[in-house]
Amino acid sequence: MSTTNTEAGDAPSPASTELMAPAVGAPRRRRAFWGLVAKRLAFIPLALFAVITISFLLVSIMPGDPALAILGSTANEQEVATVRSQLGLDRPLAERYVTYVGGVLQGDFGRSFFTGQPIRDEIVKYLPASIELVVMAILLAALVGISIGTLAGYCRGRAPDKAVRVVIAGLEAIPGFLAGLLLIFAFFYLWRLVPSPTGRLGIVNIYPPTVTHFLLIDLILAGDWNGLRSTLHRSMLPVLTLALAAIPLFAKITRTTVGGAMGSKQIQYARACGLSEWRVVQYALLQARTPILTYTAMLFGAMVGGSAIIETIFSWQGLGQWGLKAIVALDIPAIQGFVIVTGFCTMLVYLVLDLVVAALDPRIQHG
Amino acid sequence: MASLLLSAAPMRRHVGLVAGALFLAALLLASWFLPLPYDPIRPDATATLQPPSAQHWFGTDSVGFDVFSRTIAAAGRDLPIAFGGALAAALIGVFLGLLATTKGRGSALLMRSLDAFQAFPLLVLAIAIVTLTGNRLEMVMFAIIIIEAPRFLRLVRAEGLAIREARFIEAAEVIGAKPLRVLLVHLLPNVSGVIAVQLSIATASSLMVVAALSFLGIGVSPPDPSWGAMIQAGARQMTGGQWWVALFPGLAIFLVVVCLNLVADALDVILERSSR
Repeated sequence: MSTTNTEAGDAPSPASTELMAPAVGAPRRRRAFWGLVAKRLAFIPLALFAVITISFLLVSIMPGDPALAILGSTANEQEVATVRSQLGLDRPLAERYVTYVGGVLQGDFGRSFFTGQPIRDEIVKYLPASIELVVMAILLAALVGISIGTLAGYCRGRAPDKAVRVVIAGLEAIPGFLAGLLLIFAFFYLWRLVPSPTGRLGIVNIYPPTVTHFLLIDLILAGDWNGLRSTLHRSMLPVLTLALAAIPLFAKITRTTVGGAMGSKQIQYARACGLSEWRVVQYALLQARTPILTYTAMLFGAMVGGSAIIETIFSWQGLGQWGLKAIVALDIPAIQGFVIVTGFCTMLVYLVLDLVVAALDPRIQHG
Repeated sequence: MASLLLSAAPMRRHVGLVAGALFLAALLLASWFLPLPYDPIRPDATATLQPPSAQHWFGTDSVGFDVFSRTIAAAGRDLPIAFGGALAAALIGVFLGLLATTKGRGSALLMRSLDAFQAFPLLVLAIAIVTLTGNRLEMVMFAIIIIEAPRFLRLVRAEGLAIREARFIEAAEVIGAKPLRVLLVHLLPNVSGVIAVQLSIATASSLMVVAALSFLGIGVSPPDPSWGAMIQAGARQMTGGQWWVALFPGLAIFLVVVCLNLVADALDVILERSSR
């Protein structure tokens, strides 16, 4: 298809949004939107309660004795019984459930079986690190994935599309932890471009005073630019590793939606108006917005906690690494806290997503 | 030009299917019947961390295991678990998915609870299940079923709901076919294509789960070879430059997943074409 590449200054109104314009008037739409917000917010306590219950049941019903895990298999029955009563495991399930839910609602997740630390403090300490990692990785993955996905969708069936599809298929077939190890080998061992994969801050750097628990923000607040540079330098490989796993997802969804949009009536109209191809691609991306946002939210939910293995490889000291350690050690209060926090994070992200999509997409009717 | 492309496309798809399936079959057969150069579960303490050579094609690890022998042997363990788990997930997911096409109230409830369930990081859930139930191999399969079955369920339900609107279903119902008969005789054959494609994809994703679990030392008993555990054994060597310990089992995972996806893509195209 041949299109003229003239810049159309006389067609400023976005053709695609006008074609999709809803039949409902704007004020009614706005009122319906806030109704949706209220409805979704009211749903939160219920969902939170469900998450707490699931996390309690998941750990309590499963076989496997934490007392045995703490003592080791050489312990005799007497010792096991003592530890079980210390942990409160000898009480009936219903009683433990009520105590637990009551505690969680007051922000008390219990104490770790092993370190004796309150679980809440540990979550507050580790969750920000995970969020920083996931946000950086998703931003990078979105940038790269949407770019190559748009390229492939625009050039559907031609050489760039095929190249992108090969890249997607290749990235999808590499387990994240393997990608991490290969990157360590190349960037740390071969080329010495990054420091060793041990933690977030170099040995010579000192941790900034804790204000927000987000290391990057705390470093900025403390004005420690050397520390910030060191942290960002050490973040490169973990962020890249995690992003590599997310790039295929972004690329695939963008390729499909942009590819589909390129054949749509809106795009035909935009081209018929003589808009530049650059503009046309922008309109195609506008149509791809909702699916891409949906995927971002799904990924975010899966990655908080799902980044556990990557965090462990790079000693990131995030929530995932902490949760993984807790699971392997059968540290029940920690596992429960971990499940609740990851579940709740996912819920929050989905909520924000729903509202953003509802606010952006005029095709969605509220109410 | 266009006609040339059209005639070449299905050929290429068949090539993908055949090549992918052949590689997988060869790998599996090799792990069962091929006489391996070294015993995959008995290390040679005099030959540790040898780089790849004529004696040790893929080198040896820090204990003295021959990486080539173990990479091949691990296929015989990892592939059946992944495929078995995916198959079991397919059976359960398809059954529930077919049931969920009946537009009862239970169907909506089932989908809502699935949404909530899938909100959890699934890999972490799998790790939790296997660890909490005593780190046994059969629990790895169970974890795979929990992760994969909902995907089959969703797929079959979505496809089934569309087909349910068709005239022949209505006709069958009118002449008095029982609901179960409608599901099994009329609906199931029409979704079998997408199930086959999804089975291939699910096997690939199960293999990734198996690898991730055994990378963490979950669900493996140490001397037995497994790709994930082998990569773990090579993880510490990566910073020291001994790349071969982790690379070759990693390459095995990569190739198997690529082949499974090739098969899925090819099946997708072939089945789509024949149904039209």
